[in-house]
Amino acid sequence: MKLHYDTETEAFRAELRAWLEANQPTLEEMRAAPLTSSAHMPDWARRWQQRLFDAGLLVPGWPPDLGGRNLSPVQQLVYHEEMAKIAAERTANPQGLGIIAPSIRDYGSEFLKERYLRPTLRAEVTWCLGMSEPGAGSDLASLSTRAEVHDDRFVVNGQKIWTSGAHHADHCFCFVRTDPDAPKHQGISVVIIDMKAPGISVRPLPELTNPDHVDFNEVFFDDVVVPRDHLVGTLGDGWSLSTGSLAHERGMMWLRSAERLDRAIGHLLELGRDPGPDGRRIGEDGSFRDAVASLYVDAQAMWFMGYRGFASFARGRVSPEHSVLKLFGSEVSQRAARIATEAQGTDALDVEYESCGYDESFGRLPWMTQYLHTYRMTIAAGTSEIQRNIIAQRVLGLPRR
Amino acid sequence: MDFEVTPEEQELVDSVRSVLAYECPTTLVRDIVENDSTPEQPWKSARELGWASIDLPERVGGLALGLTALGLVVEEHGRRIAPGPFLATVTQFLPLVCEAGAPHQLQRFAKPAGAGELRGALAVDHGRAAQHETGESLRARREGDTWCLSGESSYVLDGDVADEIAVAARVAGGDGVGLFVVPQGEVLARRVVAFDASRPLAHLRFDGVRVGPDRVLGTPGESSRALSRALERATVAAALECVGACQTLLEMTIEHARNRRQFDRPIGAFQAVQHKCADMFVQVEKARATAYFAMMAVAEDDPRRALAASMAKAAASDCQRLVCEDGIQIHGGMGYTWESDVQLFVKRAKTLEALFGTGQAHRRRIADLLGV
Repeated sequence: MKLHYDTETEAFRAELRAWLEANQPTLEEMRAAPLTSSAHMPDWARRWQQRLFDAGLLVPGWPPDLGGRNLSPVQQLVYHEEMAKIAAERTANPQGLGIIAPSIRDYGSEFLKERYLRPTLRAEVTWCLGMSEPGAGSDLASLSTRAEVHDDRFVVNGQKIWTSGAHHADHCFCFVRTDPDAPKHQGISVVIIDMKAPGISVRPLPELTNPDHVDFNEVFFDDVVVPRDHLVGTLGDGWSLSTGSLAHERGMMWLRSAERLDRAIGHLLELGRDPGPDGRRIGEDGSFRDAVASLYVDAQAMWFMGYRGFASFARGRVSPEHSVLKLFGSEVSQRAARIATEAQGTDALDVEYESCGYDESFGRLPWMTQYLHTYRMTIAAGTSEIQRNIIAQRVLGLPRR
Repeated sequence: MDFEVTPEEQELVDSVRSVLAYECPTTLVRDIVENDSTPEQPWKSARELGWASIDLPERVGGLALGLTALGLVVEEHGRRIAPGPFLATVTQFLPLVCEAGAPHQLQRFAKPAGAGELRGALAVDHGRAAQHETGESLRARREGDTWCLSGESSYVLDGDVADEIAVAARVAGGDGVGLFVVPQGEVLARRVVAFDASRPLAHLRFDGVRVGPDRVLGTPGESSRALSRALERATVAAALECVGACQTLLEMTIEHARNRRQFDRPIGAFQAVQHKCADMFVQVEKARATAYFAMMAVAEDDPRRALAASMAKAAASDCQRLVCEDGIQIHGGMGYTWESDVQLFVKRAKTLEALFGTGQAHRRRIADLLGV
């Protein structure tokens, strides 16, 4: 165990930093066209992703023929560390790059790879992920969107919900039931659906923070025709695409949330210098000091747990860190914003109050708005309760029944 | 940051684990608690296998493997709630001697302690340890070329059974720190009726104890840096032993939840129990990762070492609180009995929480260091 990497790895970091310094989008261009959903791709974001791809820095762990440079696991970690530090996200369409592109790479036919892989990496097409349904949230395997199987096509009927970016996406990577008679984890398949196909309607679900803030949607499929060659993987084997195989890409997502938490703590320290509701400096309050110190320990522990998980992951061991980090990170982030709103008192209620929030690429956010955002974190992508079930059952080996 | 345990480190952990599994069963700890026995093990094995000298420099006969290796060994001791002189001698006495001692003092005190021939203890002010300070209760006054120690030092681990006590005292007429090594026989020791009887704690009275120049470590009044650095090591070690004890408590709890049946199913199948276990696991992982970072920061003399040591103790504190409460809760009535081993682990964890500053005291220190 040691704190520092070898000189070769640090040389790569230096090279990457220099490249990012010269090539990352400016705050001005980002703020002029902020990202409004997880499939909204403004010009600056597309050009940025293409620059990364052309430099071999979008998916650097991939082989060169797919735009990568076969980086070692440790170099990939350094890559993600540096990418987490800059204001711009690596992609404006995280589902497309993080989940769908590797799934097509691993499971897609030559035809699908040819047609979708490179355009996805180059941000020429954007994606949404059709998973949750009104009757299949945490219990995803009970999904009921039907795809009738014909010789040359599928006909899809049903409904998805919480589909991030569906109103902006070009395609949907959609989990459908192709065999209603099979046990529920079987009979699921994945098809690629053109979001402009006849029979699709999208109803946005604005978030509680703001009626104009839309990422989630309901998506309705009414006799939507999908060509048969748009099946990903084997018919009836869709469930395996939804589990384990994606661990690689999820493996380093914690870095960005750890980085965000660090920034939040920086802003909490600033908040501590402001006067509180009683007129005294917020930082003089013993309970605020204790809360911030405790939060700092947990935020740092995010990094340490992530690095420990990475050490096992790099050695090819299955690591429970993904669930632990998702659970822990979302709850700690919620606590960060809550500490601020409680310290602010009534000032937290004024969403135009100037002393506030995290410095994101699109400017400053009031702490209260940020706090509302964190309600999403403990629900989306597997609720905290589901993460606890996964830890208890898959990591600790407690019985299901 | 590379948390990968090297093959050499893993080999050491495996060998310590298997020796302790054999030499240090829980019955050995229980026998100390119930019958006041004084077993030779596991100190005998530690001495024979060189564990006490893992983090000592080669010039005093050490293995010079660093604090990361020693920390992993301490964690293994925690897993077995190992009794005996290891923690006090190796992680408390030795660090102070090595940080502040001159070469001849290392030969005199550190070399035999590393060889397991000398048992040491560390007398510091636990109430101010998180702030790296010493209080007024023990003072050192200069008298010609000797020093005179007067006052009291409380809750000294192994304070009445060690051969030599490393002492931090306030220098009279100032706020500087003086460091000394005092033979145990020169102090009046009163055994604390300790909550964890497998961890002997003593209050030490110094009634004008004279210390000659050969037993003064460094320059009294100018030793606060050495005290800080030694306290960082002792604190990280206490956190690691606590993590080890919590790990075993977690494993015992999971085992119980798998085997205990109610309503025709193992209680571990109930989500209320599963979620408690998951939270315990998260806290243990958090405390371990944080303690590992701290041992690397201290081992590599990283500028974050003080902050890291306090974080490790604060994280261990969060961990023991949840693991003790929920561990007993899931064990149900049996967890509340004397005959269950759960109590032995809970008491060890609580003792470690109190020594070298509680989580609360270390959070205060962290807030200071962050400038809140």
